[in-house]
Amino acid sequence: MQNPYIPAPVEVVKIVTEVDTKDIKTFRFAFQNKEDEAAFQYLPGQFAELSIFGKGESPIGIASSPTQPGYVEFTVQKAGVVTSALHEMEVGAVMGIRGPLGNSWPIDFLAGKNIVIVGGGFAFTTLRSLINYMIDDRNRSRFGKITVIYGARNPGLLIYKDELAAWAKRDDINLNVTVDKGDADWKGREGFVPTVCREVAPSSENAVTVICGPPVMIRFTLPVFFELGFSKENIITSLEMRMKCGIGKCGRCNVGEKYVCKDGPVFSLAELDKLTKEY
Amino acid sequence: MEKRLIKKETLAGIVGELAGKMRVCAPMKAEDQVLFRVLEAGEKPLVDFANAKNAPKNFFFPRTETLLKFTRTGKGMVRAGEPEEGEKTLLFGVRPCDARSFTLLDMLFDQEKYKDPYYIDKRAKTTIVAIACVHPPYTTCFCTSVGGNPTDSAGVDLLLTDLGNAYLAEFLTPKGEELLAAFGGSPSNAQAEKAKEGIAAKAAAEITSHIPAHEIKPILDTHFEDPFWNTLHQKCLACGTCTYLCPTCHCFDISDEVKRNDGIRIRNWDSCMFPMFTKETSGHNPRSSQKERWRQRVMHKFRYYPDNFNAIACVGCGRCVMACPVNLDIRKIVTDIAKI
Repeated sequence: MQNPYIPAPVEVVKIVTEVDTKDIKTFRFAFQNKEDEAAFQYLPGQFAELSIFGKGESPIGIASSPTQPGYVEFTVQKAGVVTSALHEMEVGAVMGIRGPLGNSWPIDFLAGKNIVIVGGGFAFTTLRSLINYMIDDRNRSRFGKITVIYGARNPGLLIYKDELAAWAKRDDINLNVTVDKGDADWKGREGFVPTVCREVAPSSENAVTVICGPPVMIRFTLPVFFELGFSKENIITSLEMRMKCGIGKCGRCNVGEKYVCKDGPVFSLAELDKLTKEY
Repeated sequence: MEKRLIKKETLAGIVGELAGKMRVCAPMKAEDQVLFRVLEAGEKPLVDFANAKNAPKNFFFPRTETLLKFTRTGKGMVRAGEPEEGEKTLLFGVRPCDARSFTLLDMLFDQEKYKDPYYIDKRAKTTIVAIACVHPPYTTCFCTSVGGNPTDSAGVDLLLTDLGNAYLAEFLTPKGEELLAAFGGSPSNAQAEKAKEGIAAKAAAEITSHIPAHEIKPILDTHFEDPFWNTLHQKCLACGTCTYLCPTCHCFDISDEVKRNDGIRIRNWDSCMFPMFTKETSGHNPRSSQKERWRQRVMHKFRYYPDNFNAIACVGCGRCVMACPVNLDIRKIVTDIAKI
């Protein structure tokens, strides 16, 4: 019987400090065993438990795309015991990954549609996975127009800066990066995400919005998409709850009868409407 | 199914003898309480008792359990060795309500996807010998309201029913039949089996505490927000006793312990009654007060478990009712919900 509590051993092969405040880093891991790598079949939107023996585990969304074989990436903010220990790690360190866990962004549902990605702050990680998945040569034709609206409080807090620059050069993504407030060097857009969404005004025709960000951003952004004609079935988001087991047993991450770890973390607004409001 | 009659005075000795050959867990007197524990070889278990203070779920889902071990290397901590596997065990003296709880826990730990190997291993290696409640022991017993029965055989491998002059032993499963030689006895007869039917009917009638456990599901479905929840929790001390004694509560925490260069990852029982249970690193807590925690406890047992597994996660043992230091009574709560 496969033991879902045992993490696969991985080695830290690359660390990128994403932000000026240095408290958000992207960790690239390579599996130590080929069979673990083969078993780690994931889709954008899934997460895994990052496991540091002696410290514990932390559930983190997968930031890389399955179209990028050979490694998995996680972008992690230093916050608690496990993530602080992770931030102390150096390339070459060994730890564990348990997963992939949860459902994913609904790839089959998104296929054939125009996709609007809305991200705020550091909650852009699994959206980055989705973008890289969709723009991969093997997948690009499966999706319609891709519009990305991504915002951070200031330029120093934007993550994946190199990738944002690369995406900006592509003519098959409508990329809109914004900051709440720019600095002397900032030549891009200024404005809150909801405002930018209103300005960009993506059409709701055959379109789905995938949105991830701080609750306050989501609260003010959703009305914009309702005005644009998006139905609740066509607005998809991802929830976060405290988790331990990640497999629907330990009992703490449920919202109503659904376990965010197992039945989520991805839900449409229509699905969330049917659940209790306890998250 | 094999049925035998076993002389009453021989039962404790049979189990005591088995304790010399395998791991046997049974109810034993511990000061002024009855608790399940492992018997020494030859030690005779209680056969006349009400019920154990602790639920026997501990034998499949221990209060503290090692999930894995690890050790320090130059590159960091790495996994080192497996915890010991469970050993063949006889769990004797289980009451039918508690035996039913195992079937409810199976639904969660032995799902199609994500099987829990620790629970499943111990469960597979354990044989359950239950003693039917010929006279339901407590006024707080309400098994008949939640799908059980004082002489129920759900989750049982070998069911013993006291007929007055002998035990009727029903070897219900292949695991139970493995005990045929050890339990011996004489062949059962029609008269004994008829006597059991009468005893069963009488026992069920002796349960006088009835609650509308099934009827409240549609009310809970539509009353997540209701003034009812505003006052329910007010006297709760958040001690968690109800969840620790509950045979069906299964929530747990996972944490790591390190001594020098070696460590273990363990899981411990946790409780939805505790604020930290759902508190996130950011400080946000989706169940921020005891109100939300109580609502979760009631909803989990009477709405979410039925949604997910088509079964109420309560066996009516009454432990939470008896042990609550402020007399919060789940029977009253369910009855009150039915009036919403």
